[in-house]
Amino acid sequence: MNNKTIAMLVSIMAAGATQAQAQADCGDVTIASMNWKSAEVSAELDKYILAEGYGCDAAVVVGDTVPTIISMAEKGQPDIAPEAWVDMLPEVVKNEINKGTLVKAAPILADRGENGWWIPKYLADAHPEIKTIRDVLKHPELFPNPENPKQGAVFNGAQGWAGTVATSQLFKAYKGEEAGFKLIDTGSAAGLDGSLINAYERKAGWVGFYWAPSALLGKYQMVKLDHGAPFDKNNWDNCITVSTCPNPKPTSWAVDHVYTLVSKRFADRSDAGVMSYLNKRSWNNVTISELMAWMTDNQASGEEGARYFLKNNEALWTQWVSPEAAQKIKKSL
Amino acid sequence: MDWFDKFPHMDDESLRALKKTIDESFRAFTRSYGDSIEELFTPLKMFLTFAERLMIQTPWPIVIAVILLLTWLASRSKKVVVGALVALLAIGYFDMWEDTMRTASMIFVCTILSIAFGIPIGIWMARSDRVQRIINPILDVMQTMPSFVYLIPVVMLLGIGKVPGLIAVVIYSIPPMIRLTNLGIRLVDKDVLEAADAFGSSSFQKLRNVQLPLALPTIMTGVNQTIMMALAMVVVAAMIGVQGLGQPVLKAISNQYFTLGIFNGLAIVGLAIVFDRATQAYGKRIQKHMENQHG
Repeated sequence: MNNKTIAMLVSIMAAGATQAQAQADCGDVTIASMNWKSAEVSAELDKYILAEGYGCDAAVVVGDTVPTIISMAEKGQPDIAPEAWVDMLPEVVKNEINKGTLVKAAPILADRGENGWWIPKYLADAHPEIKTIRDVLKHPELFPNPENPKQGAVFNGAQGWAGTVATSQLFKAYKGEEAGFKLIDTGSAAGLDGSLINAYERKAGWVGFYWAPSALLGKYQMVKLDHGAPFDKNNWDNCITVSTCPNPKPTSWAVDHVYTLVSKRFADRSDAGVMSYLNKRSWNNVTISELMAWMTDNQASGEEGARYFLKNNEALWTQWVSPEAAQKIKKSL
Repeated sequence: MDWFDKFPHMDDESLRALKKTIDESFRAFTRSYGDSIEELFTPLKMFLTFAERLMIQTPWPIVIAVILLLTWLASRSKKVVVGALVALLAIGYFDMWEDTMRTASMIFVCTILSIAFGIPIGIWMARSDRVQRIINPILDVMQTMPSFVYLIPVVMLLGIGKVPGLIAVVIYSIPPMIRLTNLGIRLVDKDVLEAADAFGSSSFQKLRNVQLPLALPTIMTGVNQTIMMALAMVVVAAMIGVQGLGQPVLKAISNQYFTLGIFNGLAIVGLAIVFDRATQAYGKRIQKHMENQHG
């Protein structure tokens, strides 16, 4: 073995060692990515910032809201859920926060989220009389069920989403079935998106559950239907969000607070810098919508989206992190 | 040393441009041909809806009687018939009858399609080594490609529901039908074929009167495998809105409703066992029958 090779081997080993040391500062962190775009990019952003800025060994795990939050409460894993729509499961989350197993950090979507039933804009323009859920239910012929054209169809979300439960309860509350509609179980996020894209590209009728900010609603212009009823908190908390409740009543959709949730175990063991970041990180809907539109246009993954955001919004994210971490992150970009 | 640590890959910009171009052209394709392609699949959709209505709207005792009769005709075994009866009654008693019938009708249509396309392709493959060399890798892709990869374009093109679901199920379950038809025909004894030649059979006569009958037990195994694979796809099909036993299973998985999951999972298993025993017993019966003929 000549000297050059030895020198190279030593330097490789040394590089490995310093990397291991850097990671030891913060330890393992698992970050929950949900299967919609804004949650995916925020998970990747947290991963990048925690790994590069704070030396964490961060990994992203993908899961649905309800199972993820239950797992965080029961097992303390994953450690961080960057984008949890806490109002969608009020009882579970409230109980867990009171019990102290989950800790609320920053409200990641400063402008809050918007859930509801949406129709394509071209349809709303062609039929200006359709403004509310009740208006839609008067016109099953405009929203045909692909498998039975005599029927109307309301497209519901994937199983496991709280919005899916709320949509099916609202469907009952507004007497959708009596109006000649069928609630279609699309089975997955891909199924829901596919049904919307399929209808939109061909300018056909579509009504269903969706939410903003989201990549799809950034790309396809949709109009949210009015519920024609004021928000009734008691009805919402005890009936619309409970799939077994037999007699839901019409109500507006609850305003959704979207927080970063951290498991108590992680909040206790992580250093102050990491928690301070998680308590500050918050963006408005314009920022996230622009980011998601860029991601959709460029077919970017969550990771690429996170990098793009870091490169282009330095003024924003440097407020969230400590100056040293900001230095390290800038260097790594 | 950069190339050593990190695989030198196509630069991000061109890769992104490539993906974008392919996607955009697919979307343009959907926009311009979506309607006519959907039109093309309308007969299939009508057939599926018809099969489903038939299974659901027929009163349950009649459906059970027909299934038991078919099971008896196929297997001629009291044990299998009684087993099927018990499974069906349990499914109905636990309020899964309608979903089970939806799934069964889907499997039924899928099996018919697989046989209709699988056997001719299998025969074609058995007759030419070149065709076999081309089709085999295609079958490998069909069996291993994660179904969501081709489901998303199909959903964009046809919307969600039965037809895209059926396409996914057929893509996954047709390969054993093709492979085993091919194998069955290739395994027919050369001496028997020579004898057929000696009697001056035409190629078609040879196929119809010698090769296919002798390959029938293997082909029946293919049918059996096709049904099993189709049942395994029920949950995936539910993810693009196909109604049936898959939807409650998905619901159970995502909400962690343990019992609901087990019940519907067992209903799928029950359905599978009934189909499996019936087709297997049929396969064995024809094999015996043939041994007697030759023996």
